[in-house]
Amino acid sequence: MKHSIFLAIGIAITIAFYALSYSTGANVFEMLYFNQGFNDQLFNLQMYPVMAAIIALMAWGGAAVYYYVINSVKFDRWYHWASVLAVCTLLAPIACYAYIDNKFAHAGLLYIDESIHFVTQILFIEALLFIVASFSIRWWSSNCRHTPFPQ
Amino acid sequence: MKKTFLLFAVVVLAVAGAMTSCSGSSALEDAVRSALVQKDTTQARFDSICSIIKGNPREYSAYMTQDGEINIDELGKLIESIGNGLRPPMHWNIAAYGLNNMSLTIYFERSGSMVPYDAPSGRGQLKKAVNDLINYFPYRDNVKINIVNDGIYPYSGTIDSFLQDRNIYASTRGVGNASFTDFGKIFGDVLQANNSRNISVIITDMIYSPADTRDVSADKIFNEENSLATNTFKRNNGKSMAIYQLTGDYNGQYYPYNNQPFQYNGTRPFYIVIVADSKVMDAIATNKDFAQFFNIKDALNSYRFNQGGSEVEWNVLPDWKDNAGRFRIDHGNTAQLNNVEGDRATGTLCFTVAANLDGLGKTDEVLCNPGSYSVTSMSQFAIKVTRITPDMINGNNKAYLEGKTHLITITGDFKGSRDEVKIMLRNDFPQWIAQSTCTDDTSPSLPGFGTTTFGLQHFLRGIYDAFNTGGANYFTIDLTLNR
Repeated sequence: MKHSIFLAIGIAITIAFYALSYSTGANVFEMLYFNQGFNDQLFNLQMYPVMAAIIALMAWGGAAVYYYVINSVKFDRWYHWASVLAVCTLLAPIACYAYIDNKFAHAGLLYIDESIHFVTQILFIEALLFIVASFSIRWWSSNCRHTPFPQ
Repeated sequence: MKKTFLLFAVVVLAVAGAMTSCSGSSALEDAVRSALVQKDTTQARFDSICSIIKGNPREYSAYMTQDGEINIDELGKLIESIGNGLRPPMHWNIAAYGLNNMSLTIYFERSGSMVPYDAPSGRGQLKKAVNDLINYFPYRDNVKINIVNDGIYPYSGTIDSFLQDRNIYASTRGVGNASFTDFGKIFGDVLQANNSRNISVIITDMIYSPADTRDVSADKIFNEENSLATNTFKRNNGKSMAIYQLTGDYNGQYYPYNNQPFQYNGTRPFYIVIVADSKVMDAIATNKDFAQFFNIKDALNSYRFNQGGSEVEWNVLPDWKDNAGRFRIDHGNTAQLNNVEGDRATGTLCFTVAANLDGLGKTDEVLCNPGSYSVTSMSQFAIKVTRITPDMINGNNKAYLEGKTHLITITGDFKGSRDEVKIMLRNDFPQWIAQSTCTDDTSPSLPGFGTTTFGLQHFLRGIYDAFNTGGANYFTIDLTLNR
């Protein structure tokens, strides 16, 4: 029951994060980095929800891969988990940057510096969401449920 | 293991389902948003949006009328709501697209003083101007021509025969009584006949010549026409009227107010008057299909009556080369700037507003003249207005500049913690009308005979007063600045 509550909280946090990526007044992405012209374009081209989906899927997908695919006693140390976290944390900003670059190129926009600044914040969001996902689903892993912190 | 996968699948489905429910926009909404973001507000784009609606009439029944046509009002509301959610808020006036197959009625004045404008020896500027109006009207099959003087008479020929006619006054000889022009009847009838699907155009010398003015003082005639104009137009407040002054060769008899005609060979002003519903006028003023029709070539001056309610699309530019100091545009209210601070070194605050002023039908002489505006603010801000040129637009500022025509740069020392800036383009009675008016036309040797019109100001002032119900501004930009 306690574990299900963790799962429910994790899902709620992820949905809240996604919903906040839609918001115009209190947008989760704009709380950490804001440049009016650049962010207005991200908003108008509806890129926030897509990036939120990329971040959420990578976090939950990465955690799922670790706990249910890797799921081995050979990889149940905290640094194995941290390695997967690091990979996801690096891949998410790269994927978002590629997405921004592609969308902006089609729209004839050029915001290189702003894009780099913007995606660095995604590092933190991704890491945070990976931890949330890990604590949501690790309980049912047969071999890694004690990683990164023993129960 | 099976149980674990089941659990994971449920989690993924729950998250994905919740996310999808957040983003449930329809194909129509996506198409509208895309058009607005790309600033592609063309007829072709509008047609493609209409085809989405017509392709799925059940889903989009709210945007269709009972007879299967597009409900322009409802679609306009959808566009407005999506546009208002963008940054900066974007607008698309689709009213003109609902005016497909608009009709045009030309009222061609055939008074004695009009005939010499189309004399065979002249360059025929008047006829050319009328021909251009017909040719540039997007729905040429819906053009009707009337001859007017003491009354309104349908032109007996075809549009093609009118266009090709080298001496239109000769071929319409005998139509009506050319010895006087009854403005009361003409404007009254035109305003009555004009409906939301019709544009009326009067080609006239704007000389009020009622029957039997012998021994009547000029002032009496002026007062009479002024009252007549006010009375006629006051009863038609939903209409708008645009007047264009042109000049043409004139060779023939001129009939002054004292009824003692004389021969005149030179140039004389004539006028094209467009009458339509205010909403129709707003729509055609901004519609590219009507651009050549509405922006009359060779017009020396123009003025649009009853334009007070015009909505001007504008937004503050977040990044601009002239900007000095700092500010942040409020997302909920783009007319509000927060965290406003002057430049650290100079203390000066400078920011720029991009606006679409073309729909107002004013020349740059008026629009770019700060004297045409009233600016009120506690900080005594000053403005500078310049036209946007294509080289100013790049990919990054496209969303803010495209579709806009002028930059209004606001500069001053921001004082206090809050200020309200109000920028108004005043709708003054135009000076050119007074300058184009004469009070005596009894001799061609009188100064300004070739450039002025007898009693013009009095008639037009009557119309101006009829429409002017206070707050005589073309538009107002209200900005709130918070430190």
